[in-house]
Amino acid sequence: MFQFDTLSLVFTSLIVLGVVPNLFYSQGYLSHLKRKGHYLLHYTTFIASMLGVVISANALMFLLFWELMSLTSWQLILTEAKEKRTVDAARFYFLMTHFGFVFLLLFFLIATDGDLEIGFAAMHGIVAKFAYPTLLFFFLVLGFLSKAGAVPLHVWLPYAHPEAPSPVSALMSGVMLKVAIYGMFRFLFDVLYPWPMEWGVLILVIGSLSSLIGVLYALSEHDIKALLANHSIENIGIILMGFGMGMIFESMGLKILSSFAFIAALFHTFNHMSFKSLLFMGAGSVLYQTHTKNIEKYGGLIKAMPVTAMTFLLASVSISALPPTNGFLSEWMIFQSMLGSSHLDNTSLKLAIPFAVFALAMTGGLAIACFVKAYGITFLGLHRSTNAKHAHEVNAWMRTGMLLMAAVIISLMLFTPFYIGWFDKALSSLGHLSVYGRIFPDGIWQMHSVAMHGGVVSPLVLLGALVSVTALLMFAYRALRVKERIHRTWSCGYRTSTRTQYSATGFAGPIRRFFGWLYKPDEHLTKQHIEGYSSKFSDSHYEVHVKPLFETTLYDSVGRAVNWVSYWVYRLAHFEQTRYAAMIFNLMLGVLFSYRIFAHEFSWATLVLEGTVMIISIKILIIGEEQ
Amino acid sequence: MIAYLVTITILLLIAPILLFFIKVLKMRMLYKKPVSLLQGYRNVAKLMQKETLISEEASGMTRVAPFLVLSPLLVTLFFLPPVVQGAFYVSFVDAFTITGLIALSTFFLMLLGLDSASAFGGMGSSREAFISALVEPAMILTVFSVSMMAGDLGVGQAGVNLASHFPKAHMASFLFAAISFFILLIAENGRIPVDNPETHLELTMVHEAMVLDITGVYLAIIETAASVKFVIFASLFASLFLPFGMQYAPPVAFVLFLVKLFMIAAAVALIEVNTAKLRLFKVPNLLGIAIVFAFLSLITFYVLGA
Repeated sequence: MFQFDTLSLVFTSLIVLGVVPNLFYSQGYLSHLKRKGHYLLHYTTFIASMLGVVISANALMFLLFWELMSLTSWQLILTEAKEKRTVDAARFYFLMTHFGFVFLLLFFLIATDGDLEIGFAAMHGIVAKFAYPTLLFFFLVLGFLSKAGAVPLHVWLPYAHPEAPSPVSALMSGVMLKVAIYGMFRFLFDVLYPWPMEWGVLILVIGSLSSLIGVLYALSEHDIKALLANHSIENIGIILMGFGMGMIFESMGLKILSSFAFIAALFHTFNHMSFKSLLFMGAGSVLYQTHTKNIEKYGGLIKAMPVTAMTFLLASVSISALPPTNGFLSEWMIFQSMLGSSHLDNTSLKLAIPFAVFALAMTGGLAIACFVKAYGITFLGLHRSTNAKHAHEVNAWMRTGMLLMAAVIISLMLFTPFYIGWFDKALSSLGHLSVYGRIFPDGIWQMHSVAMHGGVVSPLVLLGALVSVTALLMFAYRALRVKERIHRTWSCGYRTSTRTQYSATGFAGPIRRFFGWLYKPDEHLTKQHIEGYSSKFSDSHYEVHVKPLFETTLYDSVGRAVNWVSYWVYRLAHFEQTRYAAMIFNLMLGVLFSYRIFAHEFSWATLVLEGTVMIISIKILIIGEEQ
Repeated sequence: MIAYLVTITILLLIAPILLFFIKVLKMRMLYKKPVSLLQGYRNVAKLMQKETLISEEASGMTRVAPFLVLSPLLVTLFFLPPVVQGAFYVSFVDAFTITGLIALSTFFLMLLGLDSASAFGGMGSSREAFISALVEPAMILTVFSVSMMAGDLGVGQAGVNLASHFPKAHMASFLFAAISFFILLIAENGRIPVDNPETHLELTMVHEAMVLDITGVYLAIIETAASVKFVIFASLFASLFLPFGMQYAPPVAFVLFLVKLFMIAAAVALIEVNTAKLRLFKVPNLLGIAIVFAFLSLITFYVLGA
């Protein structure tokens, strides 16, 4: 019923590392909530069900815990259901998560041959006999990636995650998405094992698209929690890029590179858990103090909330993949595994993978821009609203939660070899080559890429060098005993005020304009003109909204198609009896004619003749006159 | 080890001279009376004596960020490829790490711009964020391509390999990568046509706008950081794309390397005199060219093997 192999233990520890700081944070946040009983019940069940998913050993248990996880998180979004937006977001989440569940159920029904209580190893035998493994792969992709939030099944994420209470957002983004990644690892390795190359390519493409689209929409977002939710899409994309590279290498027989890429994906899974939980906690603290999610209403919070600001900065540097943080190390590993693509002997793949490198590098650059915006507008400058002016540091429970999560980030940074050794064990328990000895050939100081011509990085030396050089510079500055004077910012003779600073909208302006073809922003500019002058105005208001492309195209058009079909079904259901009779007559005519054409003998003349007869008959008898 | 330390010291010392060499050359070409080559030192000496003026709207970030802007660049200086044969070089740092360290420095510079609540600082940060987001992919792809030709991703090892076995067979992709890297050198250091370091009009500034509210020693630190960044890029270009002359006797090789650095500075000066600054929204076109050349370099390497 339950199993505790290394992969399960790795993900159990991921959940534990994500949950323990969250418990402290949640304790501090509780005073903010009205329905405490409802919250606590679902919160604890949610955590237990996530643990249940990663240790269950048969399909029935897996599906049970999976569904429990979905339902409790759905109820947690509804904890503070004051606005219609929250209810809508929860409904959308409910729909999407069950859309995925249907495919998982189909997968399990086929893979277990109806007996849901057999173990995963036994499923492998059944799948090996199944004629269409790619169908099962698609079921898995739809089932797990709709939960993980990969393009194009990501649309619910920026709605659902921000509406939940902040500790829950941290759990959902930081931990729950990783449970879906666990599903990918478990079932692709245990059940669907020999993979054709095309599967890996598909995952790589999904990953590249997710990472770019996630970060681009994050940049255009003003709601801080929606911004972070969009970054979850990006990071899931990065994880999937590592995963896809692993699958490609595996199918091409490059076992060492494959293990390396999978370790990179696992490492990024851990890193994303750590910094995204911390960022959501920080955003939650800011929200707790200022009562708004709008980033334009923050500003200057570093003075009032130093602990939140420091931990948020650490997480921002890490998510932007800047050295020497853990986020940099895992992205470095994914880059290195992509550089390993020069070993492939498939030229078209070799030429395609630089595009994935491009996507990942572009994502990195845009993530830096996005987090400068998120951090700078929230914590630096002057307060932009009264609430931000009167904000102060959050309570000790919440501070402890954030500091503990910062400690998790630092531990991932300092004990990289230990974590990688552990991921390596998990992979070798799944039948992959162990590459720990190749990544750290001469001790823990240097991390090598396993690819030929690969790079080397030394996280600890880098960290030590940066810290000591900075400390030396600061010490030298102290020793100079420079006189300091405080004066207000020079602003061309005017006083700097809260409204003359750069806004988040303005900060992302150049990027929004450059990617205008993608964003298609909905801009509103209203001006109060001074009489008779078109260029002079007393008051102006500018607003810009970006609706995600996938939502306007894919989802809305599906909605329109459903509407259209249901309209015709409705028409059909409200005909008079004579028309039904006419339809039956036409149907019989159609069957007879098509029997003649397709089964008996075919001639163009009769086809045209009978087609004409059918069209006339349908026109006169069914459609009738326009009313 | 001695050669290694001497190289770092000299690179650090010529950093301000190199930037003012560009300026002197430009002034000569424009028939102006040039400033002294040592003006950079004079500026720093003057700034060191001044008191530091700190904005009352600013937070602790202003007191920390200047050091964090400079220190990643100083650390990078230790990781550059060797200049003379047989010299010590750091083997455990690859080009991704260097890209990351430079991005770390830019990250704190952008935060510094937002800290003083001035509209100009925000403007500079916003533009820098836009430009550096587009520089990143071109940089990574160029590095990818160079690592193929050099047979190693570690910068030190790549420099040595290129100097000992020049990739004659891959001249085309080598050239494309060099073009791409030169555009990046201009963009990352904020030279014309991407940014004008000498502008006095705040509305056109990028780098200068971010540091508008920084004074005294902090400004000296930021200016040192800018010159160190130029030296890093110039010496990477010299070691990776002009990899000759390392086999001579150490003093000769060293002088040759310095000549290469000044040649690169002269090329930048020539471009600055002959082009106008691009509008901000035309900059992506230039960076797009860099990205395309980086792709071309990889594709010619893979497909044609040239």
